[in-house]
Amino acid sequence: MAVVEASPGPLLLLDGDLQVVAVSGSFLDAFGIDADTARGRPLASLGGGEWASPKLRSLLQATRSGAATIAAYEMDLERSGQPARQLVIHAQRLDYLDLENVRLLVAIADVTDARADEAARALAMRENLVLLQEVRHRVANSLQIIASVLLQNARKSGSTETRGHLKDAHHRVMSIAALERLLAGSGEDRVELHAYFTELCGSIAASMIADPDLLSLVVEGGRGVVDSRVSVSLGLIVTELVINALKHAFPDNHRGKIVVACDFRGANWTLTVTDDGVGLPTDPALVRTGLGTSIVQALAQQLQATVEITSANPGVCVSIDHTHIALVDSAPAPPSLTGRAAQSK
Amino acid sequence: MTGYERDARGQGASTLLIVEDEILAAMALRDELEDAGYRVMDLTGRWQEALAAVKDCKPDLALVNIRLHGRDDGIVLAEDLKAQGIPVLFISGQESRARSAQTAAIGSLPKPYSVADMVVAVAYLLAHLKGDDSLPRPATLEVFDHEANGTPRAA
Repeated sequence: MAVVEASPGPLLLLDGDLQVVAVSGSFLDAFGIDADTARGRPLASLGGGEWASPKLRSLLQATRSGAATIAAYEMDLERSGQPARQLVIHAQRLDYLDLENVRLLVAIADVTDARADEAARALAMRENLVLLQEVRHRVANSLQIIASVLLQNARKSGSTETRGHLKDAHHRVMSIAALERLLAGSGEDRVELHAYFTELCGSIAASMIADPDLLSLVVEGGRGVVDSRVSVSLGLIVTELVINALKHAFPDNHRGKIVVACDFRGANWTLTVTDDGVGLPTDPALVRTGLGTSIVQALAQQLQATVEITSANPGVCVSIDHTHIALVDSAPAPPSLTGRAAQSK
Repeated sequence: MTGYERDARGQGASTLLIVEDEILAAMALRDELEDAGYRVMDLTGRWQEALAAVKDCKPDLALVNIRLHGRDDGIVLAEDLKAQGIPVLFISGQESRARSAQTAAIGSLPKPYSVADMVVAVAYLLAHLKGDDSLPRPATLEVFDHEANGTPRAA
């Protein structure tokens, strides 16, 4: 009895007639019941009769007979002049050698405030999500305007080189804009890469491939989901490598194909951009480094990935490889980017 | 000139109306579509101006943002244009609103779109209206096909 009375959580010990044998001080405090009016009285008569629930009585009787156990019975406690409380009740029959004196131990948890907090948190999360989507929507709109300005500047420029730079910048902005649109639509902070790359490459192809019958740009694999922070970097890398291949791999209406692929192996992944174009320049003097190269190098480093360029016979394959296990054991090797991919400016 | 631009020119200078409250986005779109061989009517971002413009010249396709100047609403405009037999393509980032108003339009290319995708989308939709679905279609273009009674049909 002393254990029950000292319990920090509301606790009742009932006899076989569902009369109170012992009650915890926490129960009396929580439900506004006078100690003197509780002990020896039927549970149903406690307080203003709010415990006289037929369903509770029926469940307690079933527990007493051993036919059932109340694991988590939920009930609303209605008291005159007070807001209802949401309770979760657990009851256990205590078996003694004295079979004549059945005892039931009843634990009551008042989950009203916890449920209200939970509902408030869920509401706040929903509101935050709506707010986040609205922010992303506005960011995407702003990026659309920036991309439009870059395109207008490119049109007005008299310099072919400047025009090229501005169009490249336009593609970079659009790669991030496309991602923002996907994020705004998904309601999550993760992106399915195949859909993203397909959209991205579709836009680049529409603006840079003059004859789709001659030159194709396809996306393979990539059936994986990554965080938005990773996907924005991967999108920019794909943009740079695809633009670079379109500019340099297929001179003089060379027929060909560019394949963007992403292969997932658990936490590890490999992004490859492969073309079947003219391949790496044989003259080292033709190898130059530019903004595109710097962007790929920097983003690969940020992603803790390595960059490898190999001959695809014909053409070139650029691999961006992220090996999570290697990162735990040792620092990643600094990415090296040489060859044709370094020609972009 | 890209393959898609040749497609557009081959259709004989279709006329387009752009209704967009962001003038810079509208200008970039207009220039690219004109380069592709389309005739683009004067830019506007207002419901009243758009309706006044189509009285004089009925476009083959109207590209309509849902958010317009002031309190003007692109969905209301799309319904008015549809009543005059002018097909509408929504060009808005408010994808769910565009989708919920799909009886008023024939499709949606959500922002942010690349203008190159828009050129491809316009060529596709103009051909689609004539029953030809052979042209390339951007991955982000959603086409709202309707039954004879005007109710949406899954595309």
